[in-house]
Amino acid sequence: MVQKTMSSRDQILGKIEPLEPVQYPGAFTKASEGFDFMASLAVVGARVVSPSELEELFPGRRRFDKTMDGLSLADVEVLEIDGEFGVAENGAIWLTEEAMPHRVAPFICQHLVINVTEIVPTMHAAYARLGGVKSGFGLFLAGPSKTADIEQSLVVGAHGARSLTIVIRS
Amino acid sequence: MISHADASEIFISDSERTDWHDETLWFVRAKRDKVSKVLPEWEDLREHASQIKDHTLANLGEYLRAFEAKAQANGIHVHWAADAAEHNAIVHGIIASQSSKVLVKSKSMLTEECHLNDYLASKGIEVVDTDLGERIVQFRNEVPSHIVLPAIHLKKEDVGETFHQHLGTPKGNKDPQFLTEAARQHLRGHFLASEVAITGVNFAVAETGEFVVCTNEGNADMGAHLAKVHIACMGIEKIIPKREDLAVFLRLLARSATGQLITTYSSHFHLPREGQEVHIVFLDNGRTRQLADSKYKNSLKCIRCAACFNTCPVYRRSGGHSYHQPVAGPIGSILAPNVDKKANVDLPFASTLCGSCSNVCPVKINIHEQLWFWRQDLMSAGLAPAVKTVGMKMMAFVLANPVIYRLGGAFLRRFSGLLNNRLNPWYKQREMPVAPKDSFQEWYKKR
Repeated sequence: MVQKTMSSRDQILGKIEPLEPVQYPGAFTKASEGFDFMASLAVVGARVVSPSELEELFPGRRRFDKTMDGLSLADVEVLEIDGEFGVAENGAIWLTEEAMPHRVAPFICQHLVINVTEIVPTMHAAYARLGGVKSGFGLFLAGPSKTADIEQSLVVGAHGARSLTIVIRS
Repeated sequence: MISHADASEIFISDSERTDWHDETLWFVRAKRDKVSKVLPEWEDLREHASQIKDHTLANLGEYLRAFEAKAQANGIHVHWAADAAEHNAIVHGIIASQSSKVLVKSKSMLTEECHLNDYLASKGIEVVDTDLGERIVQFRNEVPSHIVLPAIHLKKEDVGETFHQHLGTPKGNKDPQFLTEAARQHLRGHFLASEVAITGVNFAVAETGEFVVCTNEGNADMGAHLAKVHIACMGIEKIIPKREDLAVFLRLLARSATGQLITTYSSHFHLPREGQEVHIVFLDNGRTRQLADSKYKNSLKCIRCAACFNTCPVYRRSGGHSYHQPVAGPIGSILAPNVDKKANVDLPFASTLCGSCSNVCPVKINIHEQLWFWRQDLMSAGLAPAVKTVGMKMMAFVLANPVIYRLGGAFLRRFSGLLNNRLNPWYKQREMPVAPKDSFQEWYKKR
């Protein structure tokens, strides 16, 4: 098995001839700005509430300590975590595993609350802010889990969180 | 095997359903137009993405090696598969050491290309597809008819009946909300129990050794983060050089695919979770051959958004299953002949060559030109159906002989019934206009 895999590697790489050079275009510099984070959040189906509204909405919500066992989160009704920053153009929020009890946390809970303190305009600005890889796992999350696989009817709450609530904190 | 034209005839026999299919996909295409036009830099983004992909393909070996080294340093196992059989054997080899005989899989057209589910079933392992659309078609023993919307050929009544049979939902219930909830409960059980998760890969970053998987449902993540073993399967063309390139591709992908601003989840897998095993399987399966052919290498730039499906007047009115390939539509029609010319000789002809596919492609693949190139290659290889070959030869002969052309024209203007008959497939759904008395030349001479 190992021997065969090795040979396939060399075989595949051996078949790839370098083509005529094409220059790498470099960083994308033509991004427009002026995107509205709130409007994008509405498009992706997230609701925005104030800290006091959140208290009324989810008084029993929990913030969790690190757990090694993702399965223990299956019964969590409302989970609150901190996002690193939001992206104005598409309402996505960058999350890293350091800010979650477990990688599966934002997917397996029924309802998700994310605190956002910082906003960047575009995905280009987002990756510029991220720089190199600092986490073993990270993701852009935009709105609650959704599907339109049955007759293109939008249904919220496919496998992941059924709702996403954003609290913008200064 | 049934050809695209014959399969389409079956599909369009239900005209109401054909209209629905056509209009629904056109609606998705219109959403794509709307969200892309909001960005004044849209055309620059396409050009940029195209250049990144061209550059990557020109240095593919180098980037694959770089990704492999980084991924291995990150603790990820990297495997190389020359073809589908080897891909399946590698995946089975990884699973065989696990006790569980059921695994979860999120959407991966590459595993469809390799017929992985059937292979694993023959080894006694059940694959549970977890994307809602894929689960629906899996229950029905069908294959996806669209790479982004796998069950777009079905109506909610069909899904309701399928779920009634397989999940015990009440007969006659066809409410999408209710049916999706039933699937959520059913699949959650599998997520929580599964030791192995298979996912596809949207982008693999050479600079960092990380890979990105995009879903709206969250099924890839539910599987990967709960399983002890995560196997990610990817074609060798999914490599991109730098992390910042993801900004360009993530901006283009969902906008082109469904008219969304971004998919709900864009997950960046860098290191295995503590105690977890992560494997990546690179697949060639004809891709290096495609890369070596300057006419067709561009097809490897594809990011599988399916914008070309949604815009294609032939796809919208013939349905994905008519293409008899895991990847249907215009892009599938230029990828498939590379793998098997004879079996896919009909596909490059399943097009009007209108060029709409090339116009919407986020990475600027010249799809309609490649369809035309394939037609020439397949004709000169003698693979086209005899009727087509004879017809083309006759046409070439007539057009090359002005005298015969003029005589033939004069004759057929009087006896147009010779063309407009049951033997000529062109007139199956068309009415022949009344022929004018004079040809253009005759009319011009009289003036």
